[in-house]
Formats: sequence, C-alpha cells, structure tokens
Amino acid sequence: MAVEMSEHVSYASLIEEERVHSAVFTAEDIFEAELERIFYRYWVYLAHESEIPEAGDYCTKWIGRQQVVVCRGGDGEIRAFFNRCRHRGTTVCRYESGHAEFFRCPYHGWTYSNEGRLVGVPFPSRYGADFNKEELGLAPVPRHDQHRGFVFASLATEGPSLADHLGRAAEYIGLFADASPTGKVVLRSGASKSNFRGNWKFVGMDGYHVNFTHKTVLDLQKRRNGVAINRNSNTDRSPNRTVDLGGGHCRLDLSETDRVEVGKSTSLMLGEIPDTEGGAAYLRAMIARWGSEDAAYDKIRRARDVHLHVWPNLQLIGSEVRVIRPVSAAYTEVFGYPAMLGDVADELNERRLRAYEWFNGVAGFGSPDDREVFERNQIGLFCDQEPWLVLSRGSGFVEETSDGRVVGNITDEVTQRSQMRQWAKAMG
Amino acid sequence: MSTISSDISVRSRVEAFLDHEADCADRHLYSEWLELWSPTGTYWVPCNADDYDPRHHVSIIYDDYQRLQERCFRLSAEGAHAQDPPSRLCRIVGNIQFDNEACSDDGELHVRANMVLVEVRSGLKTVYAARLEYRLLLVEDAFRINLKKVMLLDNDEALGNLTFIL
Repeated sequence: MAVEMSEHVSYASLIEEERVHSAVFTAEDIFEAELERIFYRYWVYLAHESEIPEAGDYCTKWIGRQQVVVCRGGDGEIRAFFNRCRHRGTTVCRYESGHAEFFRCPYHGWTYSNEGRLVGVPFPSRYGADFNKEELGLAPVPRHDQHRGFVFASLATEGPSLADHLGRAAEYIGLFADASPTGKVVLRSGASKSNFRGNWKFVGMDGYHVNFTHKTVLDLQKRRNGVAINRNSNTDRSPNRTVDLGGGHCRLDLSETDRVEVGKSTSLMLGEIPDTEGGAAYLRAMIARWGSEDAAYDKIRRARDVHLHVWPNLQLIGSEVRVIRPVSAAYTEVFGYPAMLGDVADELNERRLRAYEWFNGVAGFGSPDDREVFERNQIGLFCDQEPWLVLSRGSGFVEETSDGRVVGNITDEVTQRSQMRQWAKAMG
Repeated sequence: MSTISSDISVRSRVEAFLDHEADCADRHLYSEWLELWSPTGTYWVPCNADDYDPRHHVSIIYDDYQRLQERCFRLSAEGAHAQDPPSRLCRIVGNIQFDNEACSDDGELHVRANMVLVEVRSGLKTVYAARLEYRLLLVEDAFRINLKKVMLLDNDEALGNLTFIL
C-alpha cells in the first residue's frame, strides 16, 4: 500500500540498515521533499571548468528543476546564476553552451552582464527613484566551489564546505583527473544524454549485477579476445572491493583485477594504451610525472576507472563523468560527458571516445541494459504488498579500516547501504 | 560516360535497396542487414549535432565493421535486456536525393534521404525522425553500404533506448 508521508513521523523510518521501503523510489511527495532537502541544500555537482575555458564562455545546467547559468566572467572568475530574469522570470539564456558578453531577456529587454549585473533596463524613466539596478542582478547560486576542475554548487547559504562534503571522495576525484598527464581532464567532447522512466537513485553503484545485466558485454569481450575474461572479477570470490567512503560517497575498487598492458585491454569500455608513438608518449609523460615506470603504471591502473559515486548526483566511471538529474519520482535524465586526457596524442582520446561509445550512451552495449533494469525496477516497486527491498548482502562480513572506510567484497551491498544511510540522514 | 545517378533504373535500384535495408532493420534481421554492408563501412549516429569531427566529439553510434558485427551479435544473443522484448518498428524512408554524379559503376554513390520511424516498446510509442546520408558502393552488381549516417532531429535531447537498428 502506498505510503502517505503526512502520516509518517519521518522519512528516515523508511530506511533500515539492511532494508529500504520502496516508497523511497515511487512516492512523488517524497521526491518533492528530496528536491528540497537534498538537491536544494547539499553540495551537488554542477559543471567542469573545462566546459567554459575562456572569459564569456557559459553553459546551462540543472540543479533539480532549477536551471543555472555557469559563466566565466570578463574577469576570468566562474559564477553561477539562476536562469531567471529578475523582472518577470523569463530565462535569459536559451542555449546549453556558448559565449556571451551579455544576457538579454527576450520579454522586455532587461540586459545582464556576463558577471550577472543588471546593466540595461529599457525606458527607465517610468521607474521611481527607489529602483536600484544594483539590487536586481541575476540571482547567484548561494555557494559554489571547485575541486580539481569539478565545480559544485550549494543552494544553502551556510553549511559545510565543499571539502567537508566531499571528504574521502575528493581523493578519488583527484585520482580520476590523474589519469591525465596534466592532472586535469577536459570535457569538451559533447554529452551523451539519456533518460529512463525510473527513480534517480537507481543510478547507484552495484558490483553484483555485472554478470547478469551485462552478460552480453562479457560475451563480447570473450568474442573479441578469444578467451573468457575472468567472470570471477564480479563474484563473491573476487579480490575487488566495494567501499563506503562516508557521506553517501562510495565506490567500486576494480583495480585488483585491472592490468595495464600496452596494446591490450582488459576492458573494452576503457580501450587500451596503444602500442604506438602516441601511446609511448603518454607513458613517458606519466613516468615523468610520477617518477618511475612502476609508479606510473600503478597510477594508471588505479586512475583509469575510479568507479566513484559522489553523492548525490555525480559518478566517475571509466572515462565518463556521469551526472544524474532527478525530474520526478519515476523519471530521470542522465548526462554523460566523456572526459578527455590533456596533452596526449589525438589517437589516445579518439580511442577513449570509441571505447566510451562501446559501453555508454543510448545505443551502447552496456548502459542501455542498466536503464532497462531501472525501468523494470520502477514497475516492480509499485507492487508494494511486500514493500521492503533487501540490502543485506555482505552485511556481516565487511571490514572497517582504521580511517573509517567500510570495505566489502565487490558483490556486497556496501555501496547501497552507504547511499541509503546518507539519504536517511539528509531527509530526516 | 553515363552518370549512374541520373539513370532511372539506378534510382529505382537504390530505392529498392533502401527499402530492403529498412525492412531488415524493422524486422530485426541482423545477419541479412549486416550483409548489406561493405567491410570498410561506417555506421554513424551523431550526438548533439549533425556534423563534426568524430575523432574529437562523442557519437551515439560510431561503428566500424567490427563493431557492427558486435552490435548484431549482441542483439542476436541472449541477455540484451534493452531489446528483450525487441522494439516493434515501422519506418518510412523517402525524399531520396543523389548528391553526386558517380561516373563509373565501381564509384561511391552519395545518397540522401529522410526517415520517419515509429517504435513501440514497453507501453510507449516513440517517433524518431532523421535525415539520412548514405555512401553506397557497387560491388559485383550489388550495393554495399560504405557509410550510413543517421542525423536524428533530437540528437541533442535526452533520449531513451536506441539499441535497435536506426
């Protein structure tokens, strides 16, 4: 039976340590509360600074259902404004990316600088003396900050810093960027935009589904390589790990079974380092940066698929910067930005793109099957005679490290429990 | 030297070929569809815009022949959940135009067309429209696709499940 939240004391009562009530994924009133209590309060991922490299470059992004213009002003500073004319609310920016000195509202011509100041109001004589343009600039998003080029925003004027919010996840955002010899990735190769008829929280971290949801991916790897890849990478016997980093941030540590070999790929999703001058130049650059061949190979092995979920709306998986946009309880959009490496031969980034397309996007060989499962989840969860989902896997076997991470086998539901615990904390 | 694209019989052969290709795609006849391709072929569905350098920009699909084979293998195999059950498809390909005047029967024919495709799956009817660009080779008196480019009208929108053959 449907949960009417007005009858409940707290949302947190829908989350237990080893099980979750399906209303968390299906109830529209809970979704509205999620926008207010999570997306309009916590730090959320907004954009990458490489999307707006020059003064005047802008891009529009979403925080929940609020559209935001992220713009690099004439002074080189990145700012974020709500896309709403202060006069009557029309959006002042129509495009997803571009270059602009000014944003002019199409309704009555109010004009804003790319630093957000209101600089032009037509026929001003009909406003009184108390009309102050200084007070009517585009409303800035209360806070924004960046880590390694990843720009986050918070609609809360006060609260924990971005560094506090990211906690242990910051290290892995850095590791993702460290796959690039420049220490920064570049998001200038477009966005793969998808939707599915299901709840945004299904875009989680799950090391248990691979052999089943992605059976064809494993079959294709076997077909390409001539031998079966190690299906045990994704079983209860795998040395790979699920990790709860705290704060809802979590990851799959797949590095134990990853091997960096020039000219060979253990994952068609990632491509290989080609046995070419371009590949050799990449390795030389990484060795120069990290001091030795062993250190460089170790860095590449750990960096090229950090498989990180930064709660609530960012994932770094393989080469993808994946951004989750909640639209309603049963409808979600996901934007995937392939992250290119800086200062490498074009062929490396071209391989990265082709490997990205192999798995990701709306016609790839992997992600569509995930979204198919998410849609079937949504249908299934409306059957709530038995409304509790079982998230107990590995619960009794996990380890806690000295620095407070919870670590389990790759198939354990450490990651889901991490996110749900944070959800309960945020929703109260 | 005659120009093959001005030849009425060539035009009707191209139409028949594109109709046959559409039929193979609509009915999920993957091995028959694959036979229509040249091993040098590229199947390209651009993302975000209709044209750009695919070496520097992500595509929805950018398949060489090896990946086309993988695509057909995957769709024919057990476990491609996004096509289980398969999409029901019906498309019209028309407005065919010839873009070049290929001068010999081993030349590449540049053909443009429009497509309207209706898909029904999981209780949802979706209409896709696209401009198509083909480069066709004439090999042993049969056309082979050397390029199929599908420029979806909504290639910059958030899309659903495009795992069937466009």
